[in-house]
This record gives sequence, structure tokens and C-alpha cells, in this order.
Amino acid sequence: MGLLLVFLALVQTTLASDLRVFQVAPDLMIVVTICAGMAGGTQAGAWVGFWAGLLADMFVTTTPVGLSALTYCLVGASIGFVRESFLHDRRLLLPVAGFAGTAAAVLLFVALGDLFGQSQLLVGGRSAIIRVALVEALWSAVLIIPVGFAYTRLARGSVGADRLGPGTGAGTVHTERLVVK
Amino acid sequence: MAVYRRPSRTRYVLAALVLAALTLVTIDARSNGGGVLSNVRSKVSDVFSPLQQGTHAVLRPIGDFLTGAIDYGSLRAENQRLRDQVAALQNQAVQSASEQAAAQQVLGQQNLPFLAGRPAVTVEVINNGSSNYESSLTVDKGTASGLAVGQPVVAAGGLVGTVSSAGAHRATILLLSDPTFSVGVRLPGSNVGNAQGAGRGQPLRVTVVTTNLAAPTVKKGDVMLTSGLDTEKFPPYIPVGRVASVVTPPGSSEPDITLSPLVDLTQLTYLQVVLWSPQ
Repeated sequence: MGLLLVFLALVQTTLASDLRVFQVAPDLMIVVTICAGMAGGTQAGAWVGFWAGLLADMFVTTTPVGLSALTYCLVGASIGFVRESFLHDRRLLLPVAGFAGTAAAVLLFVALGDLFGQSQLLVGGRSAIIRVALVEALWSAVLIIPVGFAYTRLARGSVGADRLGPGTGAGTVHTERLVVK
Repeated sequence: MAVYRRPSRTRYVLAALVLAALTLVTIDARSNGGGVLSNVRSKVSDVFSPLQQGTHAVLRPIGDFLTGAIDYGSLRAENQRLRDQVAALQNQAVQSASEQAAAQQVLGQQNLPFLAGRPAVTVEVINNGSSNYESSLTVDKGTASGLAVGQPVVAAGGLVGTVSSAGAHRATILLLSDPTFSVGVRLPGSNVGNAQGAGRGQPLRVTVVTTNLAAPTVKKGDVMLTSGLDTEKFPPYIPVGRVASVVTPPGSSEPDITLSPLVDLTQLTYLQVVLWSPQ
């Protein structure tokens, strides 16, 4: 799993800038976070989101380290929670989850950033934030298919799949027990 | 009735991760860019840079193809605009040459630091920055070549940005379109303004600083240069941008000015990092 994150970080920092549409680039780190949540549940989404966000924080200089980690951790956990509680067929809903999760991640990142004094995130105004959220979400809806395929292949039975944290493997959405009353 | 119970361990894990992230944010925010986490960022950049270079070399054909496909329409329009511009410039060549020679004589007599042959390091852009919240790029040299945080970065045409972080062999350049970037600029009538980035693809916003003088008369198309005042982070007389709009709000004596950067920030390949620091 660590290798997948490192590989996606390399592709993100080298190729993503060439894919800008309306000045907005895709974000592969949130895509893999959503995949983890959809495949592995709340805990997997939180773990992968934390490390993916931390890796993303290493490549920016104007926002504090940990802001992306916090954002992606919460989004991954939320996606995992929704997956565990309401969704049953993850394949059909993967692009929808990618779109919604990414849009939520952008808005949450800006909100948390403003909370931590990063007012530069609001300089572009509401229209800029909406533009980034929509375009990035559309990119995620498209890219989540190949990234999700790679994630499930690598997470299933891979040696390092559990090193980032428990429950990062595919199909590990468990319910502890169902009590019939 | 079926009851679903979520493992309590999940809550503890989530709480621990959120707490860890908040701790990191707090530590980094309080260190103002100079703490241990900034060093970690530099070290990670140094470790990743050879991998990035290799990945970039492999993926460049794909990136070029995708860029061309995405920007095909705008590329055609840009091509035609450049052809028209070349034709117009050829007509101005003779006049420009004589005016430039005169300007060099005047500026040389004033012994301006920026034009007096200050040492500079040529760097190559190795990636254009993929964050949607930051306008930056990475270059192929770092502290081992004399780069340091805060040094101005220029290209043919004018100011590009400043060095925002530097590892041993890689550095991050913060572009002047970034919302955290600001530079003092000279305005007509001995006025001084502050030009601030407003995001990728957006013109800079100029705020007039001097309020005890008559409002500056600025018109569209004027070129603004760095002010180079005592507290400024850039040497004087570096071209910054061309005035894109001047609007004086009702009831205000100071105009709202926007600047378009003179350098095309989307087509940067080679830059000059000026080995200069404010006194």
C-alpha cells in the first residue's frame, strides 16, 4: 500500500499539472483515499487518508503539514462510514463516491485551512472554490476507476497491505455482529 | 429488530489520527516555515526528486499528448495571436532597439543593483506544481548551487516569483500568482503599491500604499516595476506586470488596479534565480 501511495504521489507531482482543465488539476491522493474507504470501510479510509494527505503535504509549502492529512483522514473515514452503513454495491457507486468525496474534500480543506489561519485559500472567492471543487470532482469520478482497480489488486493479499494500519485490504468491510431483537 | 454495532476501535483510531494531524498542523503553523517539519519537507523533496525526474522523463510524452489534447483549441488561438504579434514586433524592432539602448544608458548611470550584473543561477523547471491551492513549481537546483529561501526568480521579461523552500538539489519557486505572494511596485507620482497574487490564472491585485500623495494616474498597459524599498524582499526595477484594469470605486480616491504578469507562468522552462538578499 505504501508503494501505491508513493507511486501515485510521483504521478501526481509529475503528470497532474499537465492535466489542468480551467486551471484545476486532478488529485490522485484523495482518489486513493476514497478507494480505501469504499473498499475497506471507516478505518481503512481514515488510515489511507491520513498517510495520503501527509504525503501530499510534503509537496506544498504554503499550507501547514498535517492539513491535507486531517482533511483526507476525515473524508476517507466518512466515505468508509457511508459505505459500511448504506452502500452495498461499491462498483456502481465508485464514480459517484469519487465525485462527492472529492468535492467534500475541497470544501473541507478550504474550511479547515481558514480555521487555521490560511486565509489565502479564500482569496480567489467563492467562484474559484466552486470551480476547483467541481473540476477536481469530475476528474476523480473518471480516475477512480483505474485507481480503484489498482488499489484492490494491490491491497488483496499484498505483504504491506496492513502496514499502514489495519483494515486496508479490499473487501474487509465487516459488521461486528447483528443482534436480532 | 437488527442492530448494527460499529467496532469501538475504529473510533479510537480515527480520534488518534485526527489528533496526530491537528498536532502536526499546530506545530508547523507555529514554526512559521522554519521548524522541524519544514526540514522534513526538504528532506522528502530531496529523496523524491530523482524519482520525480525519472517519472517525469517516462510520463512526459503522455503529459505532452494530454496537454495538447486538452488545450488544442486555445493552442490554435495562441498560435495565431503570436503570429500577429511577431509581425507587429518586427515593425517596431528598429525603434525598440534605439529606445532600449537609451534606457540602458540611463539605468546604467543610475547603477541599479538588479541591472548591474548581480550573480544569478540558471535553473530548469522539472515540474509545474500539481496543487490546486498553491502556484509553485520545482527546479533542478538547490542550496548546493547557492539557492536560498527568499531569493527572487526572474525570466526573460520580468519577475517570476521567489524561492519558497530549498533542499540540497531541488527548490520550490512560489509564483507571483500565488495568493501568499506580494511585492512592492512603483506607481506614478512617487506612489508605492503592493501587488498580491490572486490565484493561478488570475491577475495580481495592486493596493496603493502611499495615501499622503495624490492618487496615481495609472492607465491600462502601463508596466509596473518592483519598488525595491528598504523593507522590500526584491531588488528595484524588475518588471512585474502590465496594468490590465484600473477601476476607481465610487467614493474612493484610490484606484483598484490589476496586473497581468509579463512572464507567461504556464510556459516556463529556464529561469534565473538572482543570488540577492535584502540588506
